[in-house]
Amino acid sequence: MLRHTTHWVTKPANRVDGPDKANGKAKYAGDYRVPGQLATRALRSPIPHARILRIDTSAALKVPGVLAVITSDDFVDHGRFGFPVADNFILAYQKVRYVGEGIAIVAAVDAEAAEAGVRAIELDLEALPVIEDMEQALLPDAPIIPDVVTEGSKHGQPNICLTQIVRNGDPEPIIDASPVQLDQTYATPFQEHAYLEPEAVLSIPNPDGSVIIYACDQSPFNNRGVAAAVLGLPQDKVRVIQAIVGGSFGGKDEVVYQMSAQTAKLALLTNRPVSMVFSREESIMVSYKRDASQIRIRLGADRDGTLQAARVEAWLDGGAYSAETVLTAWRAAMHLAGAYKYQAVKGDVHVLYTNNNYSSAFRGFGNTEAVACIEQAIDEIAEQVEIDPIDLRLKNIIGKGDQTMTGATLNQEVGLRACLEWVRQKSDWDRKRREFPLQNKGRRYQKGIGVACYFHGMGLGGEGTDFANATVAIERDNSVTLTNGLTDYGTGARTVFTLIAADVLGARPERIKVLLTDTETAIDSGPTVASRASVVGGNATRVAVEKIAQLLTFAAANLLQCAPAQILRDKEAFIGPDEEPVDFDTVVNHARKLGYVLSAHGRWQLPVIHWDFAKGTGTPYVGYTFGAAIVEVTVHSGTGRVQADRIWAAHDIGKVLFPEGAYGQLYGGITQGLGYGLMEEVEFNHGYIHNVNFDDYIIPTAMDVPPIEATFIEAPFHLGPYGAKNVAEPSMLGVAPALANAVYHATGKRIRELPLTPERVLLGHALHNDDHGDNSRQWLGYGKGLGNVRVI
Amino acid sequence: MNTQIKFTLNGSPVMVEAPGEISLLRLLRDHLNLTGTKEGCAIGECGACSVLLDGRVVNSCLVLAPQVNGREVVTIEGLGQQDGAHSASDLQAAFVKYGAVQCGYCTPGLVIAGEALLRSNPMPTRAEIIDGIAGNLCRCTGYQQIVDAIEQTALQRAERTQQHAAAKVQE
Repeated sequence: MLRHTTHWVTKPANRVDGPDKANGKAKYAGDYRVPGQLATRALRSPIPHARILRIDTSAALKVPGVLAVITSDDFVDHGRFGFPVADNFILAYQKVRYVGEGIAIVAAVDAEAAEAGVRAIELDLEALPVIEDMEQALLPDAPIIPDVVTEGSKHGQPNICLTQIVRNGDPEPIIDASPVQLDQTYATPFQEHAYLEPEAVLSIPNPDGSVIIYACDQSPFNNRGVAAAVLGLPQDKVRVIQAIVGGSFGGKDEVVYQMSAQTAKLALLTNRPVSMVFSREESIMVSYKRDASQIRIRLGADRDGTLQAARVEAWLDGGAYSAETVLTAWRAAMHLAGAYKYQAVKGDVHVLYTNNNYSSAFRGFGNTEAVACIEQAIDEIAEQVEIDPIDLRLKNIIGKGDQTMTGATLNQEVGLRACLEWVRQKSDWDRKRREFPLQNKGRRYQKGIGVACYFHGMGLGGEGTDFANATVAIERDNSVTLTNGLTDYGTGARTVFTLIAADVLGARPERIKVLLTDTETAIDSGPTVASRASVVGGNATRVAVEKIAQLLTFAAANLLQCAPAQILRDKEAFIGPDEEPVDFDTVVNHARKLGYVLSAHGRWQLPVIHWDFAKGTGTPYVGYTFGAAIVEVTVHSGTGRVQADRIWAAHDIGKVLFPEGAYGQLYGGITQGLGYGLMEEVEFNHGYIHNVNFDDYIIPTAMDVPPIEATFIEAPFHLGPYGAKNVAEPSMLGVAPALANAVYHATGKRIRELPLTPERVLLGHALHNDDHGDNSRQWLGYGKGLGNVRVI
Repeated sequence: MNTQIKFTLNGSPVMVEAPGEISLLRLLRDHLNLTGTKEGCAIGECGACSVLLDGRVVNSCLVLAPQVNGREVVTIEGLGQQDGAHSASDLQAAFVKYGAVQCGYCTPGLVIAGEALLRSNPMPTRAEIIDGIAGNLCRCTGYQQIVDAIEQTALQRAERTQQHAAAKVQE
C-alpha cells in the first residue's frame, strides 16, 4: 500500500504544534494552574560527598503552611532506581554524592512556606573525601562512591562502573609495525543541555489512590515505570502525561523521574496537586550532564595515508551515578575509531564514578565525544603523511559492503563520500587550504579551515529491542486521531507522524491530530531516545494507518462497484474506473455503513541484531547515518579568540520527510556543536559547579552562529519510512572537531582539549576559575547560613 | 505587602493587587495567568520573558511589577490581530511557516524581540536582525530560520505598505 508519489511527506509543511507555540498558548508543565496546588522546595546537599547521619523533619512539619515532607524513607526500597545499573535514588539514601543532590522535599501552600520548611529540617552530614576528577577516582585509597558492586570491583577498581569494549582483531602489532603512527590523548568537557525550559512537573492525586503526573519528560513510559515501582503502586495507578516539552536533547529523563516520583508521593500524602518547577540554577546544579571524557587514540597508517589499525581507550566521567553513561559508553565504543576501514580495531571505554554531579544522555550519546577526538587524530595523521585531510578521509572512509571499525559489514547505501565532496566544493576548500597559511604570515587575524566527518549508528542498536506502537482512529466528525508511544519534545516527531498518516491515508494533515503522549492512551514503546522517532515511530504510524487505508479502499470499491485494485487515490479523492472522484468523507461514511471498525493499532520493530557485550563483537546497529562538516575560522593571535566565520554541512539522513523540521534539526545541532567546540564547559571546582546560570554558562547566541550552508544527501534507507533515516543527534557531531582542525590550520596549535576557549588557544591550557564554587554555594544558601544543616 | 498596579495590558486597562517586590514576569504568570511569557533564567540573560513595555522590548524578569504603573505592556498573547476572533500576527505565522519554532519555549520572547525590531527598523538587514535577537537564547534552532521569519515578515510588510501607498495614489 506504500504510495510512490507523496502529497504531504517531503513537501513544505507547518509544524503541527507551531501555531500554539508562536501564539503563547502552548502549555508547558510549569504553566498549569490548578486549584489547591502546592509548591515545593528541596533540601539539597551543600557538599559533594557525605554520609547522612540524621534527618529530622518534625520541625519542618510544624512550619505554618507546610503540609508534608518526604525523604528516601517514603519510597519502596528507599527509592532506588536506575537502568541498567540501579545505583541512584529518588532522594539521597544514607549518602549524598554530589552538590545539590536532593535529600528532602517540602510541600507547602506557597514557595515561601516551603522554603521555611526546608530551613527547619535538621540534617547532620559527615563529610567524606571528595573525588574531584577521574585520576582521583582511580587512586588506590580513593573512597568508593557507588553502593553497588561494580565490574571494576573485581579488578580492585570499585570506582570503575564498567568497561564497554570492541574487539575486532589485534591492532597493537599492526600499529607497532606501521611506518606512520599516532599516540595522542584528547579531552572533551562536561556539557549542559541548557534546554530553555527548566524542568517542571505537576502531580494530581485521584480519589482512588492513583495519581496523574504532567511532566516535561522524554520518555513517559519509563517515567511511569520508575514512579510506580518506588511508590509501590501498580502501573495502572500511575498515569504520566507528557506536557509540551521545552527542549530536552537527552536531558529530561532521570532528573524528571525523580521530580515525578517526589511530587506524586507528596500529592498522594497531602491529597493536593503538587507542582515542582526548577529555577535555572537548580536545573544546572541538579540535572545531569554530558560526560567529560579523555580518549587516548593510537593509530597506525601507511605512508600513502591508508589507515591500518586503531587502539582506543576512553575514560568517561560518569559522576556520582551511572545513569545512562553505561550505554553512552557502549555507543562511544562502537564509534571510537570513526567511519574508516581498518584491519583491526580494539577499543575500551571505562565509566568512572566521581563526585561531579552525574552524567547521562545528551545528543550524540557518546559518539559526540568519540567524533570530537578521532577526527582530530585523523587530521594529525594527514599532516604526518602530508596528504590533504579530505583526500585522506576519502581514501579511508567506509562504503557499501565494507567492514566498519567493529567488524560488521555495511549493507546499505552510503552517502559519506558525497557529503565530503559537497562540503569540499561548496566551501572552496582546496583554495583556502592553500592560501590561508600564506595570507596569515605576520597577521594578527589568522584564518583557518577544517573538516570532520562521521558515521552514527541508527536507533538503539545492541542496547535493546527497538520498537514502537501507534494507534489511529477516525472520529465521528471524520477527523483522525493518532497516538504514538514515542514522543515529541520539540523535535517535530508529531509533525512527521501527521505527514506520514496524511500520505498513507490520503487525508489532509489538518484532519489529523497526534495526541501528546499519555500512558493511558498510547502504547508503551520504550524510551524516546537515539533519534529513533521518525524511523521507528514513523513506521509504526504507517503500519497502523495502512490498515485503515485498506478498509477505506474496500469501502470505496463497494461504493463504486469495482475491485479494490481499481481504486486510485489523489489526495483525498478516491477514483474508480469511471474516473468519477468520491471524496474522503463520503467513503468514510460508507465504510461506517458497511460496519467497518475505523481504528487500528500498528507495531513496528527494527530487525533484531546481536551484539556480544562480553566479547565486544557482533552487529551493533542495523544501519548508519553519515555526514561531513567544514568550519572556517578567524583566530585573533593576541587574544586567542576563535570566531567561526562560516559552516558547511552535508548529512546523509536518507529521505527527508519534513524539510523545515530536518533543516531546523541540522542548524540546531550544528549550533550545539559550535557551543561544544568553542565555549561550553560545565566547570567543577571541588565538586561545585561554577557556572550555574546563563551569565556564566555561555551558549551560542544569534551573534555567535555564522552563516550555515547545509544540504541533505538522501541516500535511501530500505528500512525507513519512505527511505528516511534520522537526523537529531548526528547533526551536531562534526562541528567541534572541524573547529579544532580549523584552529590548527590557522595557528599551527593542536589543542586536543575542548572547548577552544581563548585561554586554551593562547596558552595551550585552561585557566580554571578556582572560586571554590561560590555560585553554587550562594544558591545553596551558604551566605545566609544553611538552616539546620550541620556538617561534621 | 500588596500594592495596586494599574496599567494597560494587551490593549485593555487592568488593575491588580500584588506584592510590590515581585517582577513583571511573576505578575503576568502568577497573578494574571498569562503563561505565554516564559521564565528561562530569571537574571535577564535568556530573553524568554521578553515583553513590550511602551513599545520597547524588556526582560520582564528584571522589571519590578509596580514599575509598569500607568504604562503599556504587550505580551505574546496580545500580539495577534484583535479584530473579533484572536488570530496570529503575520510575524507569528511566519515563525511557523519558516520553521522557526521547535520546542517553542524561547519562541514567545523571540517573536516579541522580532516585533520590537520591526517596529523600530521596518527593513532590517540580516545582520541587524541578528543584532536585534542577540538577547534571546534559543537552544533548538540555531537561529537561521528565526532570522528568515523576521526577514520575510519585513518584506511582506514593506510590500503591503507599498500597495497601500499605491492604492492611495490611485484614489
